[in-house]
Parts: sequence; structure tokens; C-alpha cells
Amino acid sequence: MPSSTGSLVEGALAAASLIDADLEAGLRGRGLNLKIDEARRLAAALGRDPAWPELFLFDAMWSEHCSYKSSRHLLKKYLPTEGAHILVGVGEDAGVIRVPTADGDYAVVMAHESHNHPSQVLAHEGAATGVGGIIRDVACMGAEVIGILDALRFGDPFGANAARVRTVMRGVVEGIAHYGDAVGVPNLGGDAEFSPVYDENVLVNVVAMGVCRAEDIIHSRVPAAAASEPYDLILVGKPTDSSGLGGASFASVTLTGSQESLGAVQLPDPFLKRVLLAAQQDVQRMLKESGAEVGFKDLGAGGIGCVASEIAAASGFGVEIDLDLETKVPDDLPAEFVLVAETQERFAWAVPARLTPEVLRIYNERFGLPRMYPGAGARILGRFAGHGRFVVRHGGRVVADVPNELITSGISVHHPVRRRAAPAPLATPAVQDVLALLESWSSSPAAASRRPIYRFYDSEVKGRAILRPGEADAGMFLLRWGGPEGIAVTVDGSPGPLEADPRGGAGIAVCEVCRNLAATGAEPLALTDCLNFGNPEDPDVMGEFEDVLEGLGQAARAFGVKGGGPLPFISGNVSLYNQRSGARSIPPSPIVAGVGLVPDYGSATTPRLKQPGNPLMFLGRRRGAFAGSWAAASVGLGGRGALPDPAELGAQVRREVDLVLEGIRAGRVHAAHDVAEGGALWTALEMAMDSGDPEPLGIAVEEEFAPWMLEEHCGFLLEVSPGDSGELQRRARESGLECFAFARIIPGGTLRLRQGAIERSVALATLAEARSSVLKGIVP
Amino acid sequence: MSGRIALLRFPGVNCEAETALVLERAGARVDWIQFGDVLDPDDYDGFVLPGGFSYEDRVRAGAVASRSEWMRALETADEAGKPILGICNGAQVLVESGIVPGGPARAVRLALAANGGEGRGGYLCRWVHVEVTLSACPWLRSLDGTRWPVPVAHGEGRFTSLDPEVIAGIETGSLCPLRYVDPEGKLASGGPWDPNGAVGSAAAVCNERGNAVALMPHPERAAWLRQVPEGAPGEWGARRRSARTAAALEAPGPGQALFDAFVHAASGVRV
Repeated sequence: MPSSTGSLVEGALAAASLIDADLEAGLRGRGLNLKIDEARRLAAALGRDPAWPELFLFDAMWSEHCSYKSSRHLLKKYLPTEGAHILVGVGEDAGVIRVPTADGDYAVVMAHESHNHPSQVLAHEGAATGVGGIIRDVACMGAEVIGILDALRFGDPFGANAARVRTVMRGVVEGIAHYGDAVGVPNLGGDAEFSPVYDENVLVNVVAMGVCRAEDIIHSRVPAAAASEPYDLILVGKPTDSSGLGGASFASVTLTGSQESLGAVQLPDPFLKRVLLAAQQDVQRMLKESGAEVGFKDLGAGGIGCVASEIAAASGFGVEIDLDLETKVPDDLPAEFVLVAETQERFAWAVPARLTPEVLRIYNERFGLPRMYPGAGARILGRFAGHGRFVVRHGGRVVADVPNELITSGISVHHPVRRRAAPAPLATPAVQDVLALLESWSSSPAAASRRPIYRFYDSEVKGRAILRPGEADAGMFLLRWGGPEGIAVTVDGSPGPLEADPRGGAGIAVCEVCRNLAATGAEPLALTDCLNFGNPEDPDVMGEFEDVLEGLGQAARAFGVKGGGPLPFISGNVSLYNQRSGARSIPPSPIVAGVGLVPDYGSATTPRLKQPGNPLMFLGRRRGAFAGSWAAASVGLGGRGALPDPAELGAQVRREVDLVLEGIRAGRVHAAHDVAEGGALWTALEMAMDSGDPEPLGIAVEEEFAPWMLEEHCGFLLEVSPGDSGELQRRARESGLECFAFARIIPGGTLRLRQGAIERSVALATLAEARSSVLKGIVP
Repeated sequence: MSGRIALLRFPGVNCEAETALVLERAGARVDWIQFGDVLDPDDYDGFVLPGGFSYEDRVRAGAVASRSEWMRALETADEAGKPILGICNGAQVLVESGIVPGGPARAVRLALAANGGEGRGGYLCRWVHVEVTLSACPWLRSLDGTRWPVPVAHGEGRFTSLDPEVIAGIETGSLCPLRYVDPEGKLASGGPWDPNGAVGSAAAVCNERGNAVALMPHPERAAWLRQVPEGAPGEWGARRRSARTAAALEAPGPGQALFDAFVHAASGVRV
């Protein structure tokens, strides 16, 4: 129904009457990606020709990146998002779970984003602003940001495009390090995978974690109290410039290889962010003491237009903003640019007007923002209103006036979907010489030590570290000073299984996250996801998208949480239009992150072996599913193949995790590692390689080598005392799981095993040395 | 009586919270001095410059902060012999201001250069080992001979100098209270346990009087037993592995003793 609002606004583009070609030319001529039918729809909703600021606003807000228009209905259909322990679920900048403690309820905040396109175009800045953005998402919930993780998918650094790939790698790692180290947020972990499918489209996913008292959570919306007293919209941080112009829209198109999009990448400033975060603590304290209800939200995609419309629309308000009040660089930056530029290091507050002067004082005087960066500071940008409209003034004139709801919930697209036929099982890989295979893996990027990457990341700042990158299957940090709770966090998304069987691979990603958390002693509490896919206009891509969502949902429901209900997804992100050469989409590349709780972090467990003579027990279930495994790829069995049903696997992993946690908390499990890439054999090697002090430890495999030892994602390896293995086996039998002594821990740093009738051994130091040298010199 | 410690919060520092906690556990009363605040040296018994990236490391790490208004107060405190501790970026500030190693007109006689040596270039975050050695620093004397694990996290941590006197002071001991060693106590110089290639494997350099210490590692990140990695070699690793509850892991880690000694010295000045 046409609206009569905005009659003062001067229309710019006759979106209703122009023929397609002219409308297309008009939009593209101004660098907009808004589709023709979307522009016509906007004109119809307004009942007039839209003005440029309005077209720029809707270009950003109806982009895939901001609107989730292709995915929203599917996310809703497949992913569980409910749970009694959720304080803030999907829909705000970050998800929040409640963690009860002896000192009252705490909130653990978690956000997950991608910054793929910017990182491909300008790697350092792209990755750094990815970190900056995710930190804002957590900070704006009122929490102290206490850690980040990075999940990276690089091209092949030894392949046909090695030079370009290495340049991107270096930039990404430098960018993450530069931002995270300077802003003072420790790196808690992450992962890195390498494949030629990412040669031209790197994936940079970032997760941020935050902590505060449950009652200190601030929502990204105008409080209801704004109906009875005036509330200001205060903008804080950098002045608006034209950096990151059209970033949201840019993230929603296919990269063409030209450099024309450089201006769409944002510019990072971790120094200013550090000062902003320090000031925020004082502002929050003041506001809490005042007793006023407030709203707080960060500026990211869509800039001022996005933050102002969303923070108001979330509680049914409207907003009137005056761009003449904004500090702009240059001063005559056109209204449409000011409205959507993605200038970094900005937040927006909704506070009662009576408290505005004190908020401005803390930022501008106490923390001296204007002295930190030219034009930076806190300033009033507008006021919230009950009329439900989004009104923008510039140069004394109204330049945009639209129903707020149209901006934030305006659009949905159902692309055609073609689901894949279920793949057939893969044959068991035949391995002639297992030691030669292990040696070849040890010098491959897949198995390489990631230390050459994370050595650049500060993992210690804030002093909360319990388990840091490289130490265990998940990172772990202290929930509160003086308290016993540890919070574990990890990411996963193995490319092999996902390419082989998207639904099964997605189930494995969820199960791996749960196993990783449990291996450190943590009970999984919640998940987030970032769905990195190709072009949604390709029905096969949308088929994979649905396969993956179905697998994620099935596994999370089957795994569940203690006390009932599914393991919920509390936040996430969708990144589409990720493509490789020849405009082919990347394979499905979801990244799942998970958070878990250790009630007493003294029980935190690592894969590090402890005692010669102890058995290394396998716990899990072998199914002979080799699709997507290292072993399959090594013998030329790449490509598609069936993987376990996600629901079945999720239920199995729940039973495994219960036993593992029981063992860890009773002090009976001395080391734990999930059986992941390379199967039980490689998993045992990883456990042994860094073990022993001062003398190294080794592994003697009990049985003759068999291919099952290379089957992936099938369970755990657990070090127990000899006297405890029988009880573990009994409990496993009751749970319908396999459990047996896979290997024995021996003194001296060797792996011993038999293949055929021959007893063989290899020095672990040799494999470790090979692993540690693969990436050296490639990252800076 | 407890020492009153000023914690200097230059814009861009990011270790002030955990540093304050450790100082408080050592018995100090800690005031966060916010940039823009006036610093009166007479109000405090000791001064701590925490780690981070003051003023964005513009020009050089520590360079801008070393020209700040607070430096005159710090010089006064230095002349009075009050304990001054700069950690990481704080160490860079003390070096850039000439307070460490001190000398005529506080000329800059020492530098913290980019990490150097084979495979050691660039920012590095890892756990290393240090040994406290006899130096001019009076307040570290009680820790003489102790060896402990501690993390470093810096890109510019290589103590170096063109001044032969300073080099000699670091190498022979009077200016160097902490050195990087391997887990067995052998000087780390050039080996796998050397994080940056500093002269004399110096992890810290003090001034001639010994009251001011520029320290590159982060003892505040090794002040709880919990913070020591499970795999750390030597006595502290073994202690970490044998503590199996959070309560046991709340015990002091190796870095706490340095702050205890610092606060003790600061309290003594007032008495």
C-alpha cells in the first residue's frame, strides 16, 4: 500500500516509470547494486520516486549482507535457536547465554562474522576491520570483550596461484594480529585450512567472546521509556568519511578481479577502538548508576542508516536524524554517502536526553576523543520518535522519509533449490606403506603446525588465559576473577567432509565442536555459525545451503543440552557470492563455533600425554566412512561420498561426551583429543609430539595397522591409568559405544607400529620438525 | 604500610586492569592515572607503566608517551629513588625517555629495536624463561638466582645500544636484572629460547641506581599458577600439572614475586 510519507522529499530516480534498461543504467551509474525489481518495489511502497539517500539506504539494507533475504526463511526452518539458558538469541548483534555462579548470574556473549570479500581485495585492512567489527558486536551488548578466534580458509600456498595466495595470507595474518594485539583482546584459537578452491576468494571468519554480569547486558534497541521521555541518538567514534562506502552491498556481489572495489574496504583503527572501549566502561558505569534504561549498538554494514533504523525499529520507534550535526570528512560529503558509509570505530547510544551531556563529557573530555583522532568524539545525531518513520535532514531539507519497518523487514527472496542425491559410500582406502603416508602428511599444509600464524597473536593479554592456541582442542578463559569457572570456545568446519557430503559434513562440524569442547572438560552450551557459500542464484548452491542447514540442525538437536532441548544457535552470519575461478562457487564452507562451561577449570584437559605405561583408549564408533578424509585424498579417492547421518552422529557424540566429561571431572582422564583429520593414528601422533618433560614420550600402537586407524571424526582418544580402563570400557558398552586400548604410552619419542609382519618405528621429532617448517617463511 | 602506586594510563595501553590486580594482590593501593590527569610525584611511592600500544606506537613504540607531561613527574620520582617499573610498552617509554639507563641529561642511550635473529623477526607471543641476576636494582635482589617462565608479546623488544658503557653494563650485570635463559638456565643468546636477540639476552634493563626497571616480558600474565601453560618445562610446569583444582591454581604464579618485591620497595620508601 503506498504511503503518503515523505511528500517533502525530492525524488531522484523515476523507479516506477523508467524502462528496465534506463533504471538499470541509473542505479549502476551511481554504483548501486539494488536490483530493478527492488527499486520498483521501493517506489511503490513510498508512492513516489525515491531520492538518492533513500536509494543508497535501501541498497545497503536490502543487500544480502544486511537483509539475509535469500537465507532468513531457511535459517528459521532448520536451525534450533531456543534454550532456557539463552539471555539474547538470534536477532541482535551477538548471542548471550546465562552462566549461574556463586557470585550471581554471568553473561557470556558471542558473535560470529565473516569478512571475506574485503580480505580478498585488501587483505590487511579487510581482516583487521573484520576483527574490529566483531569486537564492536560484543562490546555493544555491554560486555567486556575477552577474546577472539579466527577461522581462515586460504588458497593453496604451493599451487598455481601461490604468489597471490601468500600475499593474501600475509595480509590477513598481519591484519588480525595488528588489530587484536593493539586493541588488547587476546586470541583464543581458530583454525586455518588450505585449498585451491579459495585461491581467489579467501574466507576470514572471526568470533568474539565477551563477559559481563547478566544484569549489565544492554540491548540494541531504544528502550520503551522513550515513549515517555525524549531519547537522543548519540554517535561515538570516528567522523564519517567515505571509507567502506557500499560495503554491505559489496559483500553481496561476486568479485570481478578488478580493483574498483578498494573504496568499499573499511579502514581499521585499533588504537581509537581501545580508547573507545576504555571510555565505554566509564559511560556504562555512569548510566547504570543513573538507573536509566538505554540502548547501544555498533555501526557496521550500512553505517548510520543501518544503526539508526535498526535500533529504533527493534522496539517500534521512528527516528529523526540531522546529518548537519555529524562531523564529516570531507565536510561536504553528500548525504547519501554519510548515510551508508561504513567508517569504522563507531557506536550509537540511545539515552535519555537529560543524560546526554554526561555521556558526551566522558567521551570527549575525560577520554579526550577529539585529541585522539581528528574529528573523533561523541555527538548528538538525532532523536527517537513515536511516529515509526525514518527521517533524515541534510542542509536544512528532508532528504529521506520512509517507514522504518520497510527498511528493516522489507524483503525476502526464495531462490530455486536443487538438492543433491545422497552420495554413495566410499571404498576403504588401501594404504601400502603407512609410515610413508604419515611422513607425507607431516610436510603438507593440512597437517602443518599453525604456530607460524598464531605466534603473531597476543594470546595472553587480560591475564584470563587457561588454554591458549595450540595447547588443546579448544581455547579456555577465566569467566570471572577469583571464580572457578572456565569458558571453552572453539571453531570447526572441515572442508573435506563438507565437500564430500554437505549434510553429513555439516553434522560433523557440529559434532567436532562438541567433541573439541568436551576434550578440554567443557559441557557444550551454545553454537554460532557463519555460512560461507557461493552464488545463491545457482540452484545447486542453494541445494548445498539447505543440505548444510539440515545437517547442522539435525546434529545440534540430537546432541542437545543438559536438562533437555537442542544445542541452540545463538548468533550467526551468512556470506554468499563467494566464488572461485571461472565464476564457480566455492564448496559449502560453513564454520561452526561453540562455547562450553567447565565448572572448575582445574579439571581442564589437554591432549598432552602424561605417563608412560598408560593406555590410550579409543572411545567412539567406527563406521568405515572415509569420504573427505586425508586418507581418501592421499590414495586418489577424492570427491563425494556418504558420511554418517547427522542425527545419528549427534546422538552418538552426546553419549561419548557424557562419558568423557564424567572421566575428566573424576580425574580419571589424563589427556583427551578428538579423533579428527588423519584418524586415530594421526590423533595419537599429535598427542605425543609435544609431550614429555624433560624426556619425550612416544606411542606403541597395540594392533597391527588397519585402515580404520585413518577413519576420521569417529570418537576420542583418552589417556587413562591402567586400572581405570576396564570401568571405562564397561560404561562405554552400556552406552553402545566402542572402547578399547588403541595404544600404549612409552618413554622415548617414537611411534611404533606393525604393518604386515614388520615392526616399524619413526622418530616423532622428525615428524614434528617437518610439521613446524611447512608454513615458516610463508606467513611473514 | 602499603605502598601507593600510580598506574599510568596512556591512551592505547591495554594491560592496566590485570597489572592493577597483581599490584593489589601484592598489597599496593593502586590509582589509575588517566591521560589528561595531573600526576604529582609526591602522592605516590611507586610508578608502573603497563603494556599496550601507547599513542598507537606512533613514530616508535613509546616515543610519543616519553614526551608526555607525566615525564617530568616521573623524573622527579626517579631522582628521589622511587621504584619505577615499565612493562613491555612501558619499558619502551622508559627507554625512549632516557630514564633507563639514565645518565647525564637523560640522554637516550638505549634502544628497544625490532626483534631480530634467525626465525625471530616480527611480533612474537610465546612463553620464555628468565633468570634474575644480581644488578644495581635493589628491589629485585631478593629474587636473585630465581628462574621462571613468563610470556613475552612484542615486536620491538631487542635491547641494544651504541654506547659501549651501556653494552658493558648490560653484559656484565649491573644494568641487567633479568636475562632470557633456556629451561636449564643456560643463557638463551641466539638459541631457540631467545625471543628477540637482545644484547646479553637482556629481558630487562635498569638504570644505574637500579630503582627504575624496563622489563619486556609480562610477569602480570604469569602471576597466577593458572596462567602457566601445562607444558611449561621445569619446576613451574610440574607445579602447574600437579594442581588439579581452580582453588589450587589460584595460587601465585612465578610473576607475582616481582610485584611483591616492587610493592615492598615502594612501601619502604614511604616508611
